Amino acid sequence: MEITVLNKMKTDTLILSGISRSFGGLKAVDDVSVEFPPGRITGLIGPNGAGKTTLFNIISGFIRPDKGEIWWQGEKLSKYPPWTIAMKGIGRLFQDVRVFKKITAIENVLLGKSNPGECPVNLLFNSKNVIARYREDIERAREWLAFVGLKEKENVLAENLSYGQQKLLAIARLLMADSKVLLLDEPTAGINPSLIKDLILMIKKIAESGRTVIFIEHNMNIVLEIAHWVYFLNEGRIVAFGRPEDVLGNHEVRLTYLGL
Amino acid sequence: MNYILHIIVMIFIYGILALSLNLLIGYGGLISVCHAAFYGIGAYTTTLLMMNFNMNFFLALIVGVLLTSAMSLFIAYPSLRLKGDYFFLASLGFQIIIFAILYNWVNLTKGPYGIPGIPRPHVFGLALESEFFFFLFCGVIFFLIFLISKVLYNSPFGRVLKAIREDEIAAEALGKDVPAIKIWAFAISAGIAAIAGAMYAVYVSYIDPTSFTLDESIFILSIVLIGGSGNLKGPLIGVVFMIVLPEILRFLRIPDTVAPNVRQIIYGLALIILMKYRVQGILGDYSFE
Repeated sequence: MEITVLNKMKTDTLILSGISRSFGGLKAVDDVSVEFPPGRITGLIGPNGAGKTTLFNIISGFIRPDKGEIWWQGEKLSKYPPWTIAMKGIGRLFQDVRVFKKITAIENVLLGKSNPGECPVNLLFNSKNVIARYREDIERAREWLAFVGLKEKENVLAENLSYGQQKLLAIARLLMADSKVLLLDEPTAGINPSLIKDLILMIKKIAESGRTVIFIEHNMNIVLEIAHWVYFLNEGRIVAFGRPEDVLGNHEVRLTYLGL
Repeated sequence: MNYILHIIVMIFIYGILALSLNLLIGYGGLISVCHAAFYGIGAYTTTLLMMNFNMNFFLALIVGVLLTSAMSLFIAYPSLRLKGDYFFLASLGFQIIIFAILYNWVNLTKGPYGIPGIPRPHVFGLALESEFFFFLFCGVIFFLIFLISKVLYNSPFGRVLKAIREDEIAAEALGKDVPAIKIWAFAISAGIAAIAGAMYAVYVSYIDPTSFTLDESIFILSIVLIGGSGNLKGPLIGVVFMIVLPEILRFLRIPDTVAPNVRQIIYGLALIILMKYRVQGILGDYSFE
């Protein structure tokens, strides 16, 4: 395996060590140990039901692992609730988008970042700070909306956007959060090709700035284009890993996943 | 003249209740039937402190608000785990318990006999005995609550509450402390309802448990559902509709014995028609699905 020495020291490398999780008799994730270093774009590939999204749910704290630990920046992440993990800098793009439908696009993006005014006490005693932060944030939120091409939709309710636009909105919201680790569950599915190009550039830029990007993807062209490293999962286990061209050339991967 | 003032004072009091319940329903997405319990705790605490300890109205009011907010934890805590129908049932349980306490703890609350002779407050040395002064006082308090609600609804806190209403999981994934936000929403909502309770007690000068029954909770809920939730105008139009409508019936020469039943039928019909044709209420932004 890639991991030789488990480095639990204060590092920006996200470390999963011996993660297992079963649902009833089904082993959704089975003894997965991986490292996600900063600056690297890692692709998770594998057939449906391989445990990719479950792994994301475990990293972001929505599902507790039965066994194993997750370490990041010298802390054991697996003991925290999801919101704390997010506050620590692990951002997530959901496969099913999950925008807040009955609020406007700009408000959706604003929610990506925390504001002291989210605590009512600060509204009363620290209102200057709340307003100052809001002014900064709204500018930034507008920039991200413009980035994903939704500038004109600022005041439109999210439910009135198309699926692709909702996805872009969710991406803008995630970018607003300024996370250090980005978990992207099928980021390009349902987005038109011209925007996919921009998105790929963006993901590359994010990684170049020293962040960790982990993405789940079924489009192998995209995997080949952006991933530095790929893990192939099948039935909850890592079956192959390495550089994308190597993994996609692997006999078992070609047989079980690509059907070649 | 006094009759008109009375109606407006009632609109103010129920307006405060509707705005506070709106924070839970329209913003938190939590349908609750225990608002009369918070209203009652506020009314009784303020009254008992004023009558037994000769406490100044405003001081008693503050204690009442704090105590009611603290009591709201009993229902806020289950709301962290219970959703939809289950939370609704939990709030029903809370309402029944509070009513039972108000009704049966006779040593403290005088139970079904009620507490008469509650004095009106003094403001700047002026006793608010006249209907007109009390109307002004109530108007000022209502306006303050309206402003507070407006600030809360438009604040980052209000935004997160709306996000939680839409999708708790997505809100958590964005680093929002969902349990803390919900507990705050309950504490603030209950505290505001307690203010309405205190205003009611000193206005009517008599309280007994029958003012704080499950029926009353359903009435407050109907105001918000009929008017609409998720903004400021919905609950307020609901209040005007629900308070003014029965008064109009008075002028229709309907016999006194029939009028209350007609009123109930109209409320019921209004709810059914709205649920069929306009789920978000008359002016609301938010509807349950």
